[in-house]
Amino acid sequence: MDVTTLRAKLDDAHYIYDESLVTTLLVALKLGRPLLIEGAAGVGKTEIAKVMAAALDRELVRLQCYEGLDESKALYEWNYQKQLLSIQAHMGARSPEELTKSLFSDEYLLERPLLRSIRSQEPVVLLIDEIDKADEEFEAFLLELLSEMQVTIPEIGTIRARSIPFVVLTSNRTRPLSEALRRRCAYLYIQYPDLEKEVAIIKARRPNVNEHLAVQVARAVQTLRDSQTILKKPSIAETLDWVAALEALGVSDLTPEAAERTKGFVLKSSEDLEAMAAAGDGCGGEDGHCGHCRQGAAEAPGGADEPPQGRPTLKVPRAL
Amino acid sequence: MAWSETVYVEKLTAFSALLRQEGLAVGLQETADACQILEELDLTDRDTVRGALCAVYAKSRSEQEVFYRAFDGFFVSAERRQADLARQAAEAEELSRRQAEAEQELQVRGEPMDLRDDLRETYIRMPEEKREYLRQLMEKTRENMDRSPQLYSNFIRSVFMRFLLEQQMVMEDAAVGCEEADPDLALLWRDISGFKDADIPRAAALIARIAQQLSAQLSRRRQQGGHSGGLDFKKTIRRGLETGGTFVRLSFRRPRRRRRMLVMLCDVSGSMIQFSEFALRFLKSLSEVSDASRIFLFSEELHEVDPFALQNMDAFRDYVRSSGLYGKGTDLGTALAGLCARRPPILGPSATLLILSDTKTIDLPRALTALEEAKRQAGKVLWLNPIPERKWPYVRSIQTVASLCQMAPCSTLEELGRACGRLMRM
Repeated sequence: MDVTTLRAKLDDAHYIYDESLVTTLLVALKLGRPLLIEGAAGVGKTEIAKVMAAALDRELVRLQCYEGLDESKALYEWNYQKQLLSIQAHMGARSPEELTKSLFSDEYLLERPLLRSIRSQEPVVLLIDEIDKADEEFEAFLLELLSEMQVTIPEIGTIRARSIPFVVLTSNRTRPLSEALRRRCAYLYIQYPDLEKEVAIIKARRPNVNEHLAVQVARAVQTLRDSQTILKKPSIAETLDWVAALEALGVSDLTPEAAERTKGFVLKSSEDLEAMAAAGDGCGGEDGHCGHCRQGAAEAPGGADEPPQGRPTLKVPRAL
Repeated sequence: MAWSETVYVEKLTAFSALLRQEGLAVGLQETADACQILEELDLTDRDTVRGALCAVYAKSRSEQEVFYRAFDGFFVSAERRQADLARQAAEAEELSRRQAEAEQELQVRGEPMDLRDDLRETYIRMPEEKREYLRQLMEKTRENMDRSPQLYSNFIRSVFMRFLLEQQMVMEDAAVGCEEADPDLALLWRDISGFKDADIPRAAALIARIAQQLSAQLSRRRQQGGHSGGLDFKKTIRRGLETGGTFVRLSFRRPRRRRRMLVMLCDVSGSMIQFSEFALRFLKSLSEVSDASRIFLFSEELHEVDPFALQNMDAFRDYVRSSGLYGKGTDLGTALAGLCARRPPILGPSATLLILSDTKTIDLPRALTALEEAKRQAGKVLWLNPIPERKWPYVRSIQTVASLCQMAPCSTLEELGRACGRLMRM
C-alpha cells in the first residue's frame, strides 16, 4: 500500500488525518510493526484501529485491557466443563492416556481475542485497547506475540500466526509502559485536534450540521480544553455529542441558554460545571452577543480571540 | 549495494549513534528498520522522512522531542548549514568580546578575583542585566576599598561567588530550552523555586497526573504481591463447584496490609515555602501513600496542621502567614526535639518520618543530635532535599545529614515524583 492509497482509504472512512499520522501508519504497515498510540483520553486513539480495519477491509478483533487481565481472558482457556463431561462420558471406553490427550485438543480450546487474531485465515486488525490498564506481567506476556507473532500454550506447544494481524495498542499513559514493549512498536502520539481539524471532524461526522454552529462549538471546546480550571478536558466524542444534542434541540446558534441547557454533554463532572458557572461570563455567543460577551471581549488581553487565562469562557469569535 | 545506498546506511548508522548518545534506546533493529523504510517508501520530502524516522526511533513523547532536536541538527540543508556557520562565527566573536570584558570586570584592586573557572565562564555567559547588577554593586561599595582593602576583597569575592553560583544553577536548568517545544515536559524538569504564578496551575495538573501514575503502580504492586501462603478454604470450595467439585483453581489469602503512619516535617522558612507547598500537594495527591498522616510545619517553632487546612495552595499560604512561621529562620533541632518529645508519642516503629528541608539550620550539631533521636524513634526516615543533587558535595550540612539518613533530591517535579515513588516502596 502506498501513501496515496492509504490517504484515499482514510478519506473513504471519513477520517480526518494529518500527515504525521499517515506517515506513521504507513511505516507500521510496511515494517509489519505493532503501532503504539498514546494521548489523552478521547483524542481518537481507538478510532484509528476501527478506521484501519475499514481501510484495510479486515475484521477488527478487540481486546479491552483492565487490571487483572490474564492469559485466560486474553489468549485462551480450556473449556473445563466440557472436559469434565468428556471424562465422565468416555471413562472406561477409552484408555486413560488417550482420554487425557484428547482433552487438550482444539475441541476444548476456547479462543480469546489474541489467539483468534493469529489463527484467523484472513489477516485482521487487532486492537489492544488501554494497555496501560493491564498489569506489567501481561505486557511481558505480549512480547512474544508482538515480536514473533506466535504464542505458546504449554499443553499444545507453540502456535505460529496463520496470518499477520495489524496490531494497534493504545495507552492513556496512566502508567509508563515497559521499554521492551515500546521497542517492538512504531510510536504515535496524538494531541487534541486544533480548531480547523475539529471543525472538519464535526462536519465529517455530522454532515448536516450548520457550519456556523460547528465553528462555535469547536471554538468553545478549544477554550474549555485550554482552561486550567477544567479538570476533565472534553474529548472529540463529547464535541460530537454536544453538536448532536444541539441539533436535536434545533439550535443553530450557540447562545448562553443553549450552552446552559446542553453543557452536560461536554462537561462530565460537577467540579467542571461549577468552574464554568463560576467563570460567569461564558455565553457561547458571538462577540457582542450579550453584555457578558462585550465585557469579556473588552477585558481579554488579545481581544476576542484570547480569553482571560484560566477562565473557561465559551466565547465564539466570528471567523475561524 | 550501490555507493549512494552505502552512504545513507552509514549516515543512518551515525544518526543512530547520535540518538544513543542522547539517551534513546536505539539498537540495530531500529537502524535496519530506518533503512528499510527509506528504501521502501522512497521518501523525498524532508518532513515525511522526519515523521517516518520518528515513528521508528522515538518510543515516547519525550523521546520524540529528543529525536526532533537531533534530526534537525543532523540532517541540515546547505542553506541552513551556511546560516549556522555564520551564526556560530558571530557567537564566537561575541563570546571573545565578553571574555575580554570579563577579564577587566573580574578584578579587585587591580588583581584578578580568585574565582573558579566554571564561575568565570558563568559570568561570561550570564545575561547583561545580571552583570550590570554586579558592576553596580562593586561601584556602590568602592569607597570601602581604601578603608579596609582585604575585607573589601573578601566581601566582593563572597558576593560574586554566591551570585554566580545562583546564576549557574539557573543556567543549568536543563528544561529552559525545551519550554517552547513542550511546556508541560519542560515544567517537569525545571527548578521548582523558579516557578512563576502562571506556572502553578499547570504544575498542579502535572502533579495530579504523576500522582495518578504512581498510585496505579502501587495498586498493581499490591495486587502482584501474591498470597501469604494460607489457603482460603471457603473460596476454594466455592470455586471448585464451578468445575464439578474438582479443585482446579486454588484460592489463597491475600497478605494483610500493614497500616503505615506518615509524619511529615516541612520547613516553611522563607526559601523553602514553595518546595513545601509542592511537596505537600504531591503527597496529598497520593492517597495510597499512607493510611494516616500527620503534618508539621516549622521554621523557628513547630506547628501541627490539620491536613484539611491544606486543601489548596492559597489555604496553605494563608495558614503559614497567619501562624507566624513565615519569614523566620530555620531551627531544625528545636523542631525535631519538639516532635520527639510529644506525648502521646507520634513517632514509632510503624511511622515513616519525612523531612522536607534544605538542611540549612541554625545550630547544626543540636539538629543532628535531635535527628539521631528521631531516627531511633521512627521506623524509617526519608529526607527530601530541594537543593539539586549536583550541589550537595559543596554543602557541608547536606553531607553530614546524608550520612545519617536516606536523602532524595526534589528540586524538580520529576525528582519529587521519583522521591514519592521511593517513599511508597519503603
